Amino acid sequence: MLKGAEIVLQCLRAEGVELMFGYPGGAIMPLYDALDGSGIRHILTRHEQGAVFAAEGYARVTGKVGVAIATSGPGATNLVTGIADAKMDSVPLVCITGQVRSALIGTDAFQETDVFGVTLSLTKWSHLVRTLDEIPEVIAEGFHWARSGRPGPVIIDIPTDMLKTKKESARPAKFTPHARPADAKADGGFTDTIVAMLQQASRPVALVGAGAKLSGAVPELRRLLDQLNIPTFATVHGLGAVPPQSPYYLGMVGMHGTRAANTALHETDLLLVFGARLDDRVTGDPSRFAPHAKIVHFEIDPAQLDRVRPCDLPVIGDLAETIPAFQAEICRHALPDFKDWHAVACGPERAELDPRGLAQPTIRFLDELFSRLPENSVVLADVGQHQMWAAQRYRSSYPRGFITSGGLGAMGFALPAAVGVQLAKPDTCVLCVSGDGGFQMNIQELATVHRLDLPIKMVIIDNKYLGMVRQWQQLFYERNYAETDLSDNPDFVEIAKAYKIPSFRMNEDAMREFPVSEQTGNEIDRFLHSPNPELLVFDCAPEANVFPMVPAGAALSEMLLEEEPSE
Amino acid sequence: MQTFQIRYRNTQGTLMRILTAVSRRALDMPSVHADAGENDHEVTLVLDVNPKQIGQLCREWYAIPDVIKVRSGAAHEAEWSNAHPPTGVSIQRAAARA
Repeated sequence: MLKGAEIVLQCLRAEGVELMFGYPGGAIMPLYDALDGSGIRHILTRHEQGAVFAAEGYARVTGKVGVAIATSGPGATNLVTGIADAKMDSVPLVCITGQVRSALIGTDAFQETDVFGVTLSLTKWSHLVRTLDEIPEVIAEGFHWARSGRPGPVIIDIPTDMLKTKKESARPAKFTPHARPADAKADGGFTDTIVAMLQQASRPVALVGAGAKLSGAVPELRRLLDQLNIPTFATVHGLGAVPPQSPYYLGMVGMHGTRAANTALHETDLLLVFGARLDDRVTGDPSRFAPHAKIVHFEIDPAQLDRVRPCDLPVIGDLAETIPAFQAEICRHALPDFKDWHAVACGPERAELDPRGLAQPTIRFLDELFSRLPENSVVLADVGQHQMWAAQRYRSSYPRGFITSGGLGAMGFALPAAVGVQLAKPDTCVLCVSGDGGFQMNIQELATVHRLDLPIKMVIIDNKYLGMVRQWQQLFYERNYAETDLSDNPDFVEIAKAYKIPSFRMNEDAMREFPVSEQTGNEIDRFLHSPNPELLVFDCAPEANVFPMVPAGAALSEMLLEEEPSE
Repeated sequence: MQTFQIRYRNTQGTLMRILTAVSRRALDMPSVHADAGENDHEVTLVLDVNPKQIGQLCREWYAIPDVIKVRSGAAHEAEWSNAHPPTGVSIQRAAARA
């Protein structure tokens, strides 16, 4: 006889789950009771949000489905931010929640929440289990939807009585999606059309998003871009897909993108988009986004097309299929070499950052850190100014080497996500960069780091403000720093020590010399190569700003390169 | 006003997901009519939408796992009664423009 909980674990194992993250509680206790001997390692975080972000980190760095477990009511609602994050950033995630027993559903029982209803608009698929018999099919279907097409979050809500009830036997199921009469797919003619568009273009560019990485098409994409040799840039989630040393690569595009990338995007007459949603942080004012361009959009999810601006040619399908088809076609045609355009768009006049930005000690500090990282390290950034500085400065060819909460912008993401990344990649150097605001949102996960002795290198860029909000207040709200002052922050060094994690502080003076002193360099090297977890608190100037910046609602061509001199 | 007919498998939450795609765009739903069929169910919606919203809604409905077919009213019958989304139509249009 098998309990429902044992059937659930058996089915998870059959889906390849080796690791899951969670936090126990009343309704999910039967599942925890059955964990021993299941073959699945469970990681106890110190908050359900920590669990779901850790599962996301694991999924983002491996491409496998992340699994998070929580109990009913508050346990389940604490998952919601992570579920929304996974939806926005296309992360394959299965959340399993306990629910009050079947007879109590709908009675406002203790710790009852309609988590199915709460997460309806955030999940790709969800199911409230009603019979023991359906568990294998439901789990198989949930994993299918989490990882298929555009990956996303799934929630499976299981009443506690289903987990306790016994059944003679059950076997994991396989799910076959029902056929739809006309599944969308680009027809073969698209390659001719793009070649014709390229032949007529004089200023083509390529924009690379996360889809290129999620589809596993990075090698094909790199070959294609080498062949096209047109100015290319990436969204924050597309970073790493294109080797930064490529002669045609202009860096990140969008609100805090490089001047070269945003200018080329504004001037282009043909925009090839590879797996990007084109959200408002990338486009700026949609009515003035790439105003002279025809748009070709390679995308697996039809729902992402025409959201901001209609595209001229949608190429729907897995990029692992459509990119090679396109590449094969351009091999058969003579294309213009776009030499003059390349010289202008990729030329030295459009320097990446203004000299004043490069002189910023925080940017120098990040440059020092990143330049000393071992190859194929993974950098996680939380949300805020440090995130954009890191995105601007980290130059890696490792496609899954930069992880952040991009679409949702969820502060508190990085530390728990780093736990998932480090567990997935135990031999990889994992660097977690946070701000002083975001770090405190999931600071309790220091306990998880300590318990598992994960050698995560944690950095807090401490400007004693909610820096990005303060920057906006400075630039757009007449310096009214309403409720962004964090000058009474705790001493993070002492807090880390309380969690038995070594920590130290560095201040901007260490970055005033260029190159940095041997002592500072050695200190950073020791930190990055230590076999233990460690926290470095970097004291940053309170009013340091991130530039370039495109003000909200402005066109990409209207980026600010530095702050206006004060009157 | 535009009429939409959406055929779907009556699995948990599918009808709600179809309706959420409308409500999240802050659109009113003056008419909603759902019918149970032998195998599949169908919901008919009448909405005041512009051409861009028609495209977005049809694509978003199509992305819901248990939606089987999406059709829109007379004005767009030609475009939307075939494959969804109508990639072929867009490609031909783009080819003509190129």
